[in-house]
Amino acid sequence: MSESDATTSTEQRLDRIVSKELVDFVRDNIIWPLLLLVFLGFSVLLPIFSTWNNIEALLYGSAALGAVVLAETICLLSGHFDLSVGSLTGFTAITAGVFMVEWFPNAPGIVGIVFIIGLGGFLGLLNGISIGYLEVNPFLQTLSFLIIFRGGIEVVSTATFIDLPESYQFVGGGSIGGIPFALIVMLGLLVVLHFVLTYTSFGRHIYAVGSDKEAAEEAGIDVKNTVLLVYVISGMLCGLAGLMFTGYIGAASPTIGARILFPAFAGAIIGGVSLFGGAGKVTDAAGGILLLGTIQVGLTLLNVDPTAIDVVNGAILLGAILLYTFEERAAEFGGAPSDG
Amino acid sequence: MRNIKKRFGNIQALAGVHLDLRENEIHGLVGDNGSGKSTLVKVLVGLHKPNDGEIRIRGDRVHIDNPKEAREYGISTVYQDLALAPDLTVAENIYLGRYPKKRVGPIPVVDYGKMKETASEVLRERLNIDIDPTSEVENLSGGERQAVAIARALIVDPEIIIMDEPMSSLSADSVKRVKQLVKNLRDEGVTVLLISHNLQEVFDLTNTLTILDNGHYVGRVQTDSITEDDVVRMMVGGKVPEEIEDQVDTTPTFSSVAGD
Repeated sequence: MSESDATTSTEQRLDRIVSKELVDFVRDNIIWPLLLLVFLGFSVLLPIFSTWNNIEALLYGSAALGAVVLAETICLLSGHFDLSVGSLTGFTAITAGVFMVEWFPNAPGIVGIVFIIGLGGFLGLLNGISIGYLEVNPFLQTLSFLIIFRGGIEVVSTATFIDLPESYQFVGGGSIGGIPFALIVMLGLLVVLHFVLTYTSFGRHIYAVGSDKEAAEEAGIDVKNTVLLVYVISGMLCGLAGLMFTGYIGAASPTIGARILFPAFAGAIIGGVSLFGGAGKVTDAAGGILLLGTIQVGLTLLNVDPTAIDVVNGAILLGAILLYTFEERAAEFGGAPSDG
Repeated sequence: MRNIKKRFGNIQALAGVHLDLRENEIHGLVGDNGSGKSTLVKVLVGLHKPNDGEIRIRGDRVHIDNPKEAREYGISTVYQDLALAPDLTVAENIYLGRYPKKRVGPIPVVDYGKMKETASEVLRERLNIDIDPTSEVENLSGGERQAVAIARALIVDPEIIIMDEPMSSLSADSVKRVKQLVKNLRDEGVTVLLISHNLQEVFDLTNTLTILDNGHYVGRVQTDSITEDDVVRMMVGGKVPEEIEDQVDTTPTFSSVAGD
C-alpha cells in the first residue's frame, strides 16, 4: 500500500468513527435542546406557558408517569422490555386501595406504602423468574401479565377508594415548602438510579446484558439473576407509580395505569434509551417524559383535539425510531472501521 | 480433563474426551466442525456441566461452574465470537464482569480511573496496540476487537489461556501480531490452548496437539513428530494411521501440571 493510500484509508476511517460518534452524541443528547426548543415554542405561542405555576403543574403531572418510564427504561437497558407496566401500576394501586380501606382500615399510611411497592416487586419477581430463569420470551410473558392484571383490576374492585390515609397520599399528592413531594421523590429516584446504573457492578451488568447477553454470560456475569433483579426493580417502580398516581388524583381508581404503556415506551426511547438494549441514560429518559408532557400541556392549552395530540406523540416516537435506524445504518456502512 | 462426556438430548457431543495441558507449552486442539472442540472448552470454563469425567489442576480435582470460577483457577478464554459488549467502552469490556472498585464512604463503586489506566497499559505494553480505552467497542476494527478480547484474558494474569480461532477474519498484520503474542505468552510461562481450523497456524505455533473426531478423543501428539496430512487423516477418520501409532498417545497418562 502506498503512503497516500494509507493516509486516505486512515482519514476515511477517522471520518467514519467521527460520524458514528456524532450520531451517538446526537442520540444521547438531543433530548435537552429539543425540550428547550419545544418549551420556547409554546412559550411564544402561549404567554401563560412559561409561568412557574404552569411549569410546576407540568412537572407535577409528569412525576408519576416518570416512575413508569423508569420502570420501562431499566428493562430496555437490559435488552428486555415490559408490556405489563401499565397493568402492574393499575393493579398495585387498586389492590393497595382495597388493602387500606377494606382489609386494614386502621393501618398507617406507611404500611400501605410498603404493601404497594412490595406487591409491585413481587409481581416483577414473577416476570423475572419467568423471563430470566425459565427463559420465556419477554413479549409473551409481559403481554400475558398485561392481560391478566388489566383483568385483575376489575376482579379486585370496580370501585374508587377515596378514604385513604393522608400519609399514604402524601407521596403523590403532598408538598413540602410549596414543592410537590412527588417531584422530590422523582429527583431522588433519578439520582439513585443514575448512581446504581453508572457506578455499581450490578448497574454495569445491566448494560452488559443489554449490549450482548452471551458476551455477558461468557464473561462470568450472572445473566439470569441480573434479569430477575431488573424485573423486580421494574415492578417496584410500577408500585411506586401506582402510589404516586393515587396521591396525585386523591383516590385509588381502577382507571389508574390505563393508556400509560405508550408514554412509558415513548418517554424512554425519545430520551435516547436504545430499543435494543445496552445504551441510554435514565436522566435522558426523564427528558423524554418531560418532552411528552410539555407537548401534551402545550397542545391542550392551544385547544388541540386530544386525538391529534396522540398523533403528534406518535410522530415524535417515529422520529426517535428513525434516528436509531439511521444510527444502525451508519454503523453498517462504515461506523466500524475495517481491519485492513 | 479426563474422560469428559457431554450429551445434549440425543446428541453425544463429547464421548469420553481427554485434554492434558502442561506448563510452558502451546497446545493445539483440532478437529472438524462438530468434533466437540468448543463444547470441551465450554466444559473447561464452566459454561457447560459435563455428564461425566473430571477436571484436575495440579492433581487436585476441581469443579468449575462458571467462567468466573475458571478465572479464579487461572483459566482465561478468548472466545471465537470475542464475547464483547459493543455498546460498552474498551476499558469496560476488558474488565467485563470484574470491575475494579474504590470506596466512596461506605459504598464500593466502579473505579473508572483505574480501569481506564490499566486497560490502556495492557493494550499498549503487552499487545503493542494503541486503542483509546474510552472508545465504544462497536467503533473498533476486527483486529482492535481481537486485541480487546485478548487484553481481557490477560488482565487476570492467567496460567492457562484458551484462544478459540483467534486469527480467523484478521488481516495479515493482525495475524502476525497475535502469533507473536501467543509465543510471548508461552515464554512468560503461560500455557496456551489454541483452537484453530487452520492447520498451518497450528503447526507454526503449537508444541503438542489433541485431536478430536465427532466427539471422540483420537489422541495427543508432539506437533513436530507428525505431518499436516497425518492430522487431517485422524480428524476425518477418527483413527491413528498405523505408521505413526507409536507417536500418538491414545491413552494419556496426564502430567503433574494438569493431571495427576
